[in-house]
Amino acid sequence: MPVIVMASPKGGVGKSTCAVLLASEFARMGADVTVLDCDPNKSLTRWASHGAPSGVTLKSDVGRSEIVPTIRSADGDGKIVIVDLEGVASQLVSRAISQADLVIVPMQPTALDAEIGSEALALVHEEEEALGRSIRHAVVLTKTSAAVKSRVQKELEKQLSGAGIDVIEPSLVARAAFSELFAYGGDLTAMMNDPEMVTGGKVDKALANAQAFTEAVYERLK
Amino acid sequence: MNGSNRLAGLKARPKGGTVEEVRRADEVGEARGFLDRTPRKKPGRKPSPRTHQLHPKVFPEVGEAIAQEAEKLGITQGQLIEKMWETYRKAH
Repeated sequence: MPVIVMASPKGGVGKSTCAVLLASEFARMGADVTVLDCDPNKSLTRWASHGAPSGVTLKSDVGRSEIVPTIRSADGDGKIVIVDLEGVASQLVSRAISQADLVIVPMQPTALDAEIGSEALALVHEEEEALGRSIRHAVVLTKTSAAVKSRVQKELEKQLSGAGIDVIEPSLVARAAFSELFAYGGDLTAMMNDPEMVTGGKVDKALANAQAFTEAVYERLK
Repeated sequence: MNGSNRLAGLKARPKGGTVEEVRRADEVGEARGFLDRTPRKKPGRKPSPRTHQLHPKVFPEVGEAIAQEAEKLGITQGQLIEKMWETYRKAH
């Protein structure tokens, strides 16, 4: 089953949020999901410490020397492997990309995120050449506005599409519930059904966004 | 989405993981600034927890015998004295 790698040398673009949303939604669909937390900030480990959803197994502290064997041992029938990487340009990133079926590059709709995120896209292209196989990759715009699509976002989408880069639709909207997942653990469905969880946002909208995003990723894995 | 039946259709593509392929991925990454950023361990020997110092004067032949015995056992003279102390404590 597929290996999905979240890659961007820039921090704070939404790699861990994408990883949590995909892990919990694929697990809800019945997949056995292994999440590798390769980020020294341990965002996913913190999320799982509050309770990971059923079907999700977390492996923490996966470093440069362990990444390839860990991915290979976690991969198997009925399993999806999701790799959350640190937001720096490191060999850990290039090694994880070499094992990917799909590389997702999250970026906020800003010029800086696009410029730094493009380094990850360029690395994927070069690894494709060096390894002699295609590595599917796509950009997802994150922390976008729920109300309006900004001029910068429209321009960025146009530029990415013009360069032949696959852009995942829908983008991930800036939702309080996405951030609160790291405080409460679990998944959005549990959050929506628990009145004690206070997010200050619309959990139903967040869940619909996460499900549509997961569906779009699923289409790219077929 | 409808459960695991759909997921069963997902397949992983064959990927290499040989030393040569990892080396090629490293080379490509390094050329683009994706370097080995594994934190380096502090160089040198770790400080010993044995901080107390004794200053005993013994006859030369006893001192030499203690030094030789410690060397033979592959331990320091301080560790040998600790073993002697342990034996002494058990005996009294």
